[in-house]
Amino acid sequence: MPTHARPSFAGLLAATLTTVTLLLVPAVPAAAHNTLKSATPPKNAQLTSLPKEITLEFMQELNPAYTTITLSDAAQQKVSTSEPAVTGTKGTITIDQVLTNGTYTVAYRVVSADGHPVQGSYQFTVADPTASPDAAASATTAPTAAPSTTPSSSTAASSAVAARDTDDGPGAPLLIGGAILAAMIIAAGTVVVARRRSTRES
Amino acid sequence: MTGPSNRPVSRRGLLTGGALAAGGALAGAAAVTAARSTNPEVRPADTVPVAQVGTAVEPFHGARQAGVTTEPQAHAAFVTFTLKPGTDRAALGRMLRLLSDDAARLTQGRPALADTEPELGLLPARLTVTFGFGPGLYRAAGLDDRRPPSVADLPSFRIDRLQPHWSGGDLLLQICADDPLTVAHAQRVLVKDSRPFATVAWVQQGFRRAAGAEPGRTQRNLFGQLDGTANPKPGGPMETAVWIHDGPDWLRDGTTLVVRRISMNLETWDLLGRTDRELSVGRRLDTGAPLTGTAEHDEPDFDALGPDGLTVIPDFSHLARAHVTDDRLKLLRRSYNYDGAPAADGTADSGLIFASFQADITKQFLPIQRRLAERDLLNEWTTPIGSAVFAVPPGCPEGGWVGQQLLG
Amino acid sequence: MPSTRTRRLARPASLISAVVLAGSISGCGSSDDSSAAGSPPSPTVSAPTGTSAGVLGIRDPWVKAADNGMTAAFGTFVNDGDADVTIASAATEVSPMELHEMAMQDGKMVMQAKPGGIVIKANSSHVLEPGGDHLMLMDLKQPVRAGDEVTFTLTFGDGRTQTFTAVAKPFTGAQESYAPGHGTPETPASPSPAS
Repeated sequence: MPTHARPSFAGLLAATLTTVTLLLVPAVPAAAHNTLKSATPPKNAQLTSLPKEITLEFMQELNPAYTTITLSDAAQQKVSTSEPAVTGTKGTITIDQVLTNGTYTVAYRVVSADGHPVQGSYQFTVADPTASPDAAASATTAPTAAPSTTPSSSTAASSAVAARDTDDGPGAPLLIGGAILAAMIIAAGTVVVARRRSTRES
Repeated sequence: MTGPSNRPVSRRGLLTGGALAAGGALAGAAAVTAARSTNPEVRPADTVPVAQVGTAVEPFHGARQAGVTTEPQAHAAFVTFTLKPGTDRAALGRMLRLLSDDAARLTQGRPALADTEPELGLLPARLTVTFGFGPGLYRAAGLDDRRPPSVADLPSFRIDRLQPHWSGGDLLLQICADDPLTVAHAQRVLVKDSRPFATVAWVQQGFRRAAGAEPGRTQRNLFGQLDGTANPKPGGPMETAVWIHDGPDWLRDGTTLVVRRISMNLETWDLLGRTDRELSVGRRLDTGAPLTGTAEHDEPDFDALGPDGLTVIPDFSHLARAHVTDDRLKLLRRSYNYDGAPAADGTADSGLIFASFQADITKQFLPIQRRLAERDLLNEWTTPIGSAVFAVPPGCPEGGWVGQQLLG
Repeated sequence: MPSTRTRRLARPASLISAVVLAGSISGCGSSDDSSAAGSPPSPTVSAPTGTSAGVLGIRDPWVKAADNGMTAAFGTFVNDGDADVTIASAATEVSPMELHEMAMQDGKMVMQAKPGGIVIKANSSHVLEPGGDHLMLMDLKQPVRAGDEVTFTLTFGDGRTQTFTAVAKPFTGAQESYAPGHGTPETPASPSPAS
């Protein structure tokens, strides 16, 4: 009875998809690349006081030999920091110089447990009302340059961030997952066809 | 070294075999011409006519051994021996005289002495046989004081998973030719010569691109990477990096050789996207250019930063770890790929027979190897499973034998 | 040093000629120097012994290495003269010798003394090789070790003599009917290197 078979096919497919999802969920983290879990200061933070250090926490343990964390200003000049101190999943750099107000980019390059290099970046902004770097800054740098270059630089930086974020593409686990999913759908379809036949016969 | 014009050509030989061979050569040349006319991509100046691949000859005799700075041939067998107890200095002399004599004959396109398959000795295909002396040979000869100090077992590295059956060896014969049958026959002849004196320790057979397929180009390994870009340039830099220029006559005009079998995990490498692969190597896969450049031989800029403040070339990349600029610190890498049979599940048995020539292993090879062992991200996909070091003694004149300066 | 530039043979024909004449240009096996006593081999001159001065040109002479018992010497003997040359006998310090041939006997190839010696026809060459004519060493007094050089003296039909030196090669080929009474094939491990 075809009318009866149709809902059972949909139900079976749904069940299959659920199974596939359940199978994939534990599988993905096992094979996934290391990713940034949290950051201090956080992404897009508007800070009113100067940060002393930056701490990035990742999903997997970091290998100190393969961990890079950098900080650069809106003019893409590297800010002087310590080498990353790594403990477990956390890497911390200490900022060695006094930051002026503006937008900063934190970038990281780490290696996953499976050896895959992972890199990314995010920004935060320092707007310290008590800081009086403007006077100092105006003495050393062109005062009008800063406001005008900052937005364009940060735009460039954030587009770079976006590009970096998608650098890795779909990733092998996703592709493998997709292949498994496709295979299971085909298998499910086969079962359904078989069931429809048997239903019709009964 | 005699040039083609000096080579004695027998009138009798011309009459008996010449006409037939000349006909074959013409047919071969015609085939090449035809292929060229249909393929405009082929650069005639770079193309070795097919008929000449088999007959091309590299010199055997000379102040220095061939097979070091020789343009790498397509096929290689690294054959090592363990000397039998009792193979002393005198016996080594007899062994090396036999080996040198047959190597001289075969490299020049003549059958070995008492060759049981003389027809296989006729196409040298740029055959070279390069002799290397392991630390054990000096001990067996009672001449350990003459061993180049850097020719000693390498320190063990964190990344090493060395297997004894790919490691060590008292005597090495590096047999290279553009034809695999030529290599096989030379190997057979030389192994037979060595039997009274030594047992075979290990043999590693490898390959590069076919002769004439990519003339003058850096070879690719089975990861798809160009391999050997940073080799010293011919001329002065090569002289500096490779050859020993002073010392006693058993060292002068010699060099040293490190052979390491590097297993390459194609299964996990497969999981890596192209961008990640390039970050690991520090070079583009297509051109071999450093990530900061556009052409293979562009000097890498390790300080160049991307827009996010990260160095464009990761500091853990193979390039960043291996790079040296001083010719005195460079290695002449002359590696060959190996590709064994896959396992039942398809897992590849592939890798690289890493071979590097350098004047001094301690000064040149070890610092680079230490940096690589410490941080090279490529270690994630590569594992050294064999390791051996050899002194490459100077060459010999006609009538002489390799090692004569040391053992004679 | 060997130039890295490839030298190519002028003609494939030259290869063929190399086989036909098996010219020993650079071998170490044809020197006068006999180092059978076990001293390290000295530098050897590559010119085939006696080719200019001797009765015959002798190219690529070699002797099969053996620890004891029988063995044999081989080579290509070239007669550039206009008269046939007969090798009547051969001698060496390390063993009594006979001139042998392989001949069909009752449907089997057997080794036997060659009656009348070995004749090298005028303006031709004769190859002594395993399975054919050879200079037989009947009973070694001392091992002939691989790489040793053994000196031989040929006596010709007209009483002239010529000496030449052959290098000892480890060789296991074509020996099935080679040493009657010593029927077991030589093991690859033998002869020993420094006995």
